[in-house]
Amino acid sequence: MISVDPWVWLSAILTLCSFSLLYGDNKFFKFAEYTFTAVVIGHNVVMGYFTLKSGFNPLFTGQKLLLIVPLILGLMVIFMVWRKYAWLAAIPMAIIIGVSQGITVRALVSTDVMGNVKAVISEGSNFFIGNPTDIVGVMLRVVFTIAAVSYFLFTFAFKNTASKPLEYLRILGKYVLLIYIGIYIGNQSMQNSMLATSAINRLVRNWLGFG
Amino acid sequence: MKLPELKASQIWAIVLIGYLIPAFIPLGMNPVISQATQTVYNTIQSLPPGSIVMCGGGGVFAFDLESSAGLIPAIQQMARNGVKVVFYPMWIETMQFNKYCVDSARVDEKYGGPWKYGRDYVFLPYIPGNEVGLVSFMNDVKKTVSVDYAGTPIDQLPLMAGLNSYKDIKLWICAEWDGVTILRYVTGQYGIPVMWFAQSSAYAAYGSYMSIYPGQIYLTNGALGGAQYEKLNGITGLGHAALDSNVMFTIMFVGFLVLGNLTMLFGEKNVNRKVKT
Repeated sequence: MISVDPWVWLSAILTLCSFSLLYGDNKFFKFAEYTFTAVVIGHNVVMGYFTLKSGFNPLFTGQKLLLIVPLILGLMVIFMVWRKYAWLAAIPMAIIIGVSQGITVRALVSTDVMGNVKAVISEGSNFFIGNPTDIVGVMLRVVFTIAAVSYFLFTFAFKNTASKPLEYLRILGKYVLLIYIGIYIGNQSMQNSMLATSAINRLVRNWLGFG
Repeated sequence: MKLPELKASQIWAIVLIGYLIPAFIPLGMNPVISQATQTVYNTIQSLPPGSIVMCGGGGVFAFDLESSAGLIPAIQQMARNGVKVVFYPMWIETMQFNKYCVDSARVDEKYGGPWKYGRDYVFLPYIPGNEVGLVSFMNDVKKTVSVDYAGTPIDQLPLMAGLNSYKDIKLWICAEWDGVTILRYVTGQYGIPVMWFAQSSAYAAYGSYMSIYPGQIYLTNGALGGAQYEKLNGITGLGHAALDSNVMFTIMFVGFLVLGNLTMLFGEKNVNRKVKT
């Protein structure tokens, strides 16, 4: 049975307006696009206000007086819009970037770089353990990782006995990257298709009442 | 031989028909449970009642089925087992997503479920700063956040009395984007297991994290993983609803891929022939 909820109707109409872009650019799509943009901006402004309010509340109640420091730093960012005093904004920006980069780089190196290297080495020791599909999976991961890393490492030309095998390894690395890009794009398409599935699911079930 | 070229609107019309077919004629796809999904289910099942689980991450696209399909049955499972959940929004829209999933799971007292807000689950407000906010939260919860999403002081919420730092967290569930940040810090820095109800692309791109931290990180695969989780929970929900459409889309996707390549191949041959003559 078709829904009588006005919010479901609004959602369905805006979804159909958005899908109308598939036929070509039109006024219905523009309406949905501008509505979405306005709602997102409005929502973010309100959320930003309440986040600041709750964040700085302990300062105004006297519980955390040290919060005066981030408050002043935050206000200093506003000076970015005046060229004469823009240097004041550079101080909080430098602190933000410095702190976040310091935290990020540490985690990135230990997880993505060292963690990955350790995982490949430890999986290399499991070459002949487990069922055949596991063995193939481990082999592919180890060989593909080495090949892909070789593609980026050995970019300079040199001539010795190892140059030919390394060249083959680099070529394999190139194909590994192509395979990865193919898988990634294919999966991205699948994920985007799921968004369409989600929208159509809402239309068919919530709005029209089928299924 | 010259293959006909389809217009974009014709392709979309075929895709739309493909999507609509399962809505009227369900294919009844039966998902085979993967090892990762089974492990996620077993891990949550093994948590003692009263354990605190964090649930949160970055943004979501329009409450996409990819992650909610898995999270909703997981919430039902945790509510059934007396596990407590604190929702942590790292992006602004995460709050709405978390609330949508809890409402859809129908676990609150107002739906006749076992959960009561403040005692069994808490929605934290948007916590800015991404990884900086996350690290701060893990080290000292009370210094990082003072109120819940509705502005209620967290010292008035019984559940928050037992959550002071990462030491009190038994498990982190991520059903949103930016799960990599969660993995890097929550598991990488604090050694807490992470179960990620991942989107299909996240699964493909970030599956290697399961090797980096063996036994501590498990990713379920998009709506398919969600359907598997529903099956383990004995329900048919969003995951099953999406699975039929997903199968239809996959068939069409591969079909158009083959057709597009054949068209390009024959087009190139025709061009080469013309150049030779």
